[in-house]
Amino acid sequence: MPTKPRQQDPGPQRPISITAVVDCVGALASRSMHGHLYLYDTNKAAGSTGLGTEELKTWVKRGDRLLWNALALECEAFVSIDGIAIDKEVCEPEEKVYPGTDVTYWIGTVKKDTAEAIPYRLSFRLGTRAEPITTTRSPALVGRIAGQARTAQQPQEES
Amino acid sequence: MTQQLAIIVLVDVGTALTSKTLDGNTYLFDNMQFHGSTGEGTGELVTAINGSYWQDGSQGTEEVLNWLPYSLGSIPPTLPRGYHAERSRQSDERALADLRALAEKPLAGAEAANEVNRIHRGVGHRVKATGRAHGATGHKLLDVTGAIVTDIGSDTHSYPGPVITDIRGQAVDEKIMYPSEYGSPDLVTDGWYWSATVDTSRPGTYSYTMQIQLHDLVQEGGEWHWEPVTMTCESQLRIITEPRRNGFTKAGMGVLPIAVPAPQA
Repeated sequence: MPTKPRQQDPGPQRPISITAVVDCVGALASRSMHGHLYLYDTNKAAGSTGLGTEELKTWVKRGDRLLWNALALECEAFVSIDGIAIDKEVCEPEEKVYPGTDVTYWIGTVKKDTAEAIPYRLSFRLGTRAEPITTTRSPALVGRIAGQARTAQQPQEES
Repeated sequence: MTQQLAIIVLVDVGTALTSKTLDGNTYLFDNMQFHGSTGEGTGELVTAINGSYWQDGSQGTEEVLNWLPYSLGSIPPTLPRGYHAERSRQSDERALADLRALAEKPLAGAEAANEVNRIHRGVGHRVKATGRAHGATGHKLLDVTGAIVTDIGSDTHSYPGPVITDIRGQAVDEKIMYPSEYGSPDLVTDGWYWSATVDTSRPGTYSYTMQIQLHDLVQEGGEWHWEPVTMTCESQLRIITEPRRNGFTKAGMGVLPIAVPAPQA
């Protein structure tokens, strides 16, 4: 029997997920996130770059909802995001909890399109370590205006 | 002692379904980077596997591989196994409480009808699956924040996690590894996982193919259900004979994990 694909309703959209995959053992051993963090998002089709690196550039536009969460490379290890330091004029992520659990995520809305990439920093709680560890390299949100400028500079790469 | 090696298969399910391929939408990790695995976090992972050997070089024991498929952009696998069922039950209880409260209110006909419609919308939608949409089948549609999806056509739902349904290819054909699916009390893998013992007596690089089932939300005969979509992705094993080392201390796997002193200048 023929099936009907899901509707492409322009109404509410699922947030862009930004997932941090963390090698907890490596980060705890070196007390640094550098080399032990892989960042991904679900907006590669729109132009996000740097997936799998510490300097993910997520392509966003005003009104997009962004959801950050974290996964540990080893399922026995604990990792969660402790904080997101980002220009509050662009986005103010809030920590939320999945109802009925202690599993957290951070969510925020992009307030405006920007002419330049907006870097931010992530802090993580790892294992039983009391002090969070902060990223040393900055992922960024790349707004529509900044993205258009980049496209104009690199027409061949984007084609 | 046999070492348990883990390979995480992280799939951007939504993009893979849209583009109809796992190529470029699958990211692989293992916990053997320290021993020489390459391509961590990409689709080109080569997993280094070092065996256990006796002093004469003969194989001491096999290694064990475990695969953990995760979904990028869905509710996380760290949530309890029955999370979908629990959220479905909570939503039903809320609707019943709202109906009970409505019955006690002296509302006019149109107003009462509006209120019933609001409660009806908030109940959400149960979605069945014809494949193996672990955790999600028969339960209500949730979004990525764990909330009940009230407008099923809005494309805000969270996808079920990917499911490995077969592992085959060169490494299996040449009897380098013997993969199979096992039942497990491990809540993270929803009770099932793929595992393999690896013959480490024949060093070399061997490819293998994972058959992975994703689930797309489709409407058929007026009803929505999870339709299985099967795709494949490849990876490689590199069997090596180098000695194992402690990941924290960088020292050998001796009786005690004591750090190797820094060489004198």
